[in-house]
Amino acid sequence: MMANKKKSLLSYILVAAFGLVLFYLGTDGFTAYTSEAARVNQLKDETPMFPEVTLEDHEGRVYPFSEFEGKYVFITFFYTMCGTVCPELEKNMAEVYDMLPEDVIEEDIQFLSISFDPERDTPEVLDTYRDWLDSDGETWRMARIPDQAELDELLDRFGVIVIPDEYGNFAHNSAFYLVNREGRLVEVMDYKKTEEAAETVMDILEGGGKK
Amino acid sequence: MKGIYYVITLYIFLMLPPVANLMESVMIIHMHMQMTLFVIIGFLLAPVLQKKFPRFFEEWNPNGIPGILLFVIVMFYWTLPRSMDEALNLWYIELFKFISLPFLAGVPLRDSWKKVSASVKNGLIILFTLLFIAMGWLYIWSPNQLCNNYLLIDQITLGWGFLLTAVCMISYIAYSYITDLAENI
Repeated sequence: MMANKKKSLLSYILVAAFGLVLFYLGTDGFTAYTSEAARVNQLKDETPMFPEVTLEDHEGRVYPFSEFEGKYVFITFFYTMCGTVCPELEKNMAEVYDMLPEDVIEEDIQFLSISFDPERDTPEVLDTYRDWLDSDGETWRMARIPDQAELDELLDRFGVIVIPDEYGNFAHNSAFYLVNREGRLVEVMDYKKTEEAAETVMDILEGGGKK
Repeated sequence: MKGIYYVITLYIFLMLPPVANLMESVMIIHMHMQMTLFVIIGFLLAPVLQKKFPRFFEEWNPNGIPGILLFVIVMFYWTLPRSMDEALNLWYIELFKFISLPFLAGVPLRDSWKKVSASVKNGLIILFTLLFIAMGWLYIWSPNQLCNNYLLIDQITLGWGFLLTAVCMISYIAYSYITDLAENI
């Protein structure tokens, strides 16, 4: 009888321990309940390098990403045909852009919107989009990566998941990405919190030493 | 106990990669059909295990409460948006799904159900009703896409599936409450 009681007590403990371990492992220590949160945490740990890709921007200029070496690069991934999240994402990017001081924009940081729909987003289309966003086309550029393999490599490294749906649209996760002067991803920010993003950028720039 | 072979066949069939992939391609089928079927499989396999290892169930689950707790923990885990995503991306989470839902949810539920009191049963149903309402609310009105592998519209469909299930459970609770009342008059 005593033994049975002990076993039944033990079974409670085992079940509770199992539950704790399961939820601990399943949520990275109660920090990430969605895989998006887990992805962001992982990216911040890994700080992956921006791969060597060739960009073609809204003016048709072709250059490697290393063109921006020495500057921080503030990046979003979008496509122009997108009717839902991207316009909001890009408008919010414009808000962050406007919140940063002018000298920082000139000297320290490059804004870059990368399309993951290179087929439809030709330089002309990108230029129309740029115009709509009122960007100057220099400190904030729109670009596509014509080489699909290079694009896929980048999306994979930065954890951008793009799922084409049956209507020619893409479902995708969105965020602000900040790449440092050496081309390493150092921060992933919530694209809905523009003020917070601007503050984070300024903190990092000041921490990393302004030029 | 011939029926057991059908259950095992169904279990294996559902785990075949083409079948599993097909069911997982639609979010609501993944959660409300595939996962439910795995729990049911465990439920149907339970008598065989109880016969084979009667002492095990008696000793470790004497009053049914540990079994119910285990069931609740496993079910809660599988309602996390992240678990569902990872089952698609990581093979070992997928394997864990195939094992945990029948053997750590279905089997303990069946073993416990006869042992626990009516109030525990009702409590369990109410708990899951509340959970499903919360999940429905989360999936329908969440401003964010919770799962990276599914479209937003799939997520909203799943949310309504949760709410519908909750409505069914509420009507069950109401039904049993009213019939109880009628019997006691």
